[in-house]
Formats: sequence, C-alpha cells, structure tokens
Amino acid sequence: MKSYFGSYHTSSGTEPEEATVLVFDKNLNIGFRNPDGSNAMVNWLLKDVETSFDFSSQQTKLKNTRPPGGELFIKGNDAGNYIKEMLAEQQKAWHKKSSGKEWIRNSLLLLGILAVLYLLYMLIVPWLSQKLASKVSIKTEKQLGDAVYDALGLAEQEDKSKSFVLNQFFELMDVPSAYNINITVVNDEVVNAFALPGGRIVVYSALLKEITSYPELAALLSHEFTHVNNKHSTKSIFRRLGSKVFLGLLFGRFGTVTSVVVNHADNLKSLKYSRSLEKEADMDGLDILTKRNIDPNGFVDLFHHLQKAGLTNNMPEFLGSHPDVDKRIAYIQEASKGTAVKEDAELKAIFEKLK
Amino acid sequence: MLVTTTSAVDGKPVQEYLGVINAQSIIGANIFKDIFAGLRDVFGGRSKTYEKVLEQAKEDALRELTQKAQALGANGILGVDLDFETIGSGGSMLMVIATGTAVRL
Repeated sequence: MKSYFGSYHTSSGTEPEEATVLVFDKNLNIGFRNPDGSNAMVNWLLKDVETSFDFSSQQTKLKNTRPPGGELFIKGNDAGNYIKEMLAEQQKAWHKKSSGKEWIRNSLLLLGILAVLYLLYMLIVPWLSQKLASKVSIKTEKQLGDAVYDALGLAEQEDKSKSFVLNQFFELMDVPSAYNINITVVNDEVVNAFALPGGRIVVYSALLKEITSYPELAALLSHEFTHVNNKHSTKSIFRRLGSKVFLGLLFGRFGTVTSVVVNHADNLKSLKYSRSLEKEADMDGLDILTKRNIDPNGFVDLFHHLQKAGLTNNMPEFLGSHPDVDKRIAYIQEASKGTAVKEDAELKAIFEKLK
Repeated sequence: MLVTTTSAVDGKPVQEYLGVINAQSIIGANIFKDIFAGLRDVFGGRSKTYEKVLEQAKEDALRELTQKAQALGANGILGVDLDFETIGSGGSMLMVIATGTAVRL
C-alpha cells in the first residue's frame, strides 16, 4: 500500500477538495471533507482508473472512468507509476505474479528440505544408528542385558533344571557365535520367549509346554539366538534413540498434537523395522536348522502353537511387532523347499528330558 | 497520509486532533515456516521466514491504522507506536498492535 496527498474533484470542473489517497493492490481510497465539513470517502477500482501525467504542472491526473466519475490530481508521477505497476501485476498469470513466484520458490524450497529431512530420517539416521550399534562391545551388551534381566526380576522364578537342559540342547546344536549364550527358563503362564542383548535368552515355561517336538524347540532357540547374534536389541535401541533425537530436534518445540502425530508415525516406522528384524531372525534361524538337517517344519509348528496360544492377535500387520503368522509360515515353507531332513537322536533325547 | 512516530511535524502544525486510533494484526507462522525456523534455531543464522512474518504483520497493522485515520478525515497519524507480542499456546502466533493519534495537519 502507498499513501498520497492530492486534490479531488467530484466531477470535472468542480472545486478541488484536499484529499488523502491510499492505493492498495486492486483499489484506491480517497478521503476528503465535504464543503459542510463532514468526512467523505470514495473507492475506485484500479482497473477503472485512467492515468496521465501533465508535464507543465508536474502532476499525475487520475480519472475514474466508471460513474459517478471524478478526478484526482497528485503531485509527481509516483502514484501513476505505482497504479500501472499494480495493474500490470494483476494482469499477469498467477505463477508470474511476484506473490505466485514467491509461492513457487517457497514450495520448491520446502519440497527440497522435506526431501532432505526424509532422506535423513529414512536412511541416514538409521544407517548411523546401525553403525553405532555395531560398535557396541559384547561386554557392554551383556551389561545392558543383565541390567534388564535384573530389572525384570526373573531370577527368582527360574526353573534351573529346565534351564540346564535347554542350554545343553543348544550347545549340542553347535551354533558358532562370539556370544556366550545363556538360556533361562522362567516359570510363568506367559506363552512367550525373548532375547536380551549380550547373550541371554528367556523362555517361559508355558511356551515350553506348548512345544511338542525337538525341531520346534530348535526353531525357537535358533530364532532367539539370531536376535542376540545379529544385535537386534541393540540396533533397535539405537534406532529408536536416533529417531527420537532427530524428531525431537525438529518437532520438539511444537504443541502436543504435532508431537502425538509425529510419535505415532515414528512408532509405526519402528514397528516396521521390528517386523523386518523378526523376519531376519526367522530366516537366519531357518538357516541354522537346515545346516543341521533339522526339520524346518519346526518353525511352522511353533507358529501354529503360538497362534493357538493366542500370542498373535488379529490386529492388522502394520500395527504388529511381528509379521503376520500366515506370512511367516508361507515364507518359511517357501525357503525350506527341498531341504534334507535327518533325525538327530541326541537332540531328541535331550528334548524328551523336558517332557 | 503522513505516518510518524514523532509527536509533531516540522512546519505543519496540528489543526485538529481526531482521536487515538489503534489497529492490530495477529498472524500465525504456518507449520512449514516453523520447520524452517526450527532448522535455523538448530543450525544458527537469521530466520528470514519469521522476519517476513513479522514484516507482514507490521504492514497489515499500519495499513489498517491508516485506513482508520482516513475514515476519520485525518491526513496524518502522530506518535505511532508499534508493540510486538507473541500469543497462543507456546507463543505460536504473533501480534502487532499499532497505536497513534489521528490528526489534520
């Protein structure tokens, strides 16, 4: 907006009134006093205004071509130039207007920044987190795992005799690893098993009861072993930490709604990562079984038993930390086609001790 | 329209005081601008996006003030004062209040 002083004639030839003129993007306002002293305002559309410059008086003449007409005289040619500029701007296509150009430039800049942030969040931060996780020593991982185990207070519920048998079973499977694997059986009604960083695997007694064959037990242990051996827990911790720090820097200052939305989106992404680790544990676990000629159907039986025990639920897969059971069965069956199977009497004998 | 922060204009005595006028502009920087500004906060440097928002709010307030003065029949605004405040949860919106005295010089 620009403002000017001028002389306003309600029509050609009438007495001039001293006026203040405000020129906006599409119109101009003329404020003046009537001869009786009252205030008056008129509004002209810029597109109806005819401009001309009188060199002798050095004034710009503005004429309203739309009834009731009127003439305005403003010193200098700035007002005329400004009105022409505004009219020219209006006639441009939206993308050629200065506001349109700015909008396009900002949109492109924003897209670029979003793309960089997306790359950082989706690739760089996870990659960096993985790198850092791989640098964590086994000793540190063990300390972390032991701290979690102590915090869970599971030691008091340990079934030492079953733990001994399970450790014996896994030792006989002879899976090479830099980790010292320590399997603990905990008396509980929970049908579950999990691995902690550093080598500790916890199997609940209720799950052991569900297991009916030694290949099934071998499948369970090899799956959990892969979580330990591939540093899945440590990687997950670092990835969560990396994502939280990154998102905290970007969105930390925003309100609760933004934080909730961003956190939920991040949780969904971390669930996707969790599912990828579970699949990796299944496939590497299957590899352990096939190399020892143990029946890969142990995995299929295990999944069926977990399904029967209600450990898996009917939630959509994208909300789950594990892949859909039917998918797990399908990819295990697909990958184990044509595998040679040979009964291992020793493993079978140890398994019998559990029953 | 003469808009000034001073209480008088050299060579132009006030003929008529038309009253105190004020105008305010409350403007929200959108989420994208907040992201840009957030990056500036992390990496340092001037935040042009917030500066533009501030400039826009100031222009809007002054424009409204000028319109109000014109409606009163004034040809000048003296003693213009601009106040800048943040409002909304977490200071997410910016408010500019422009105050002045409408006069006929």
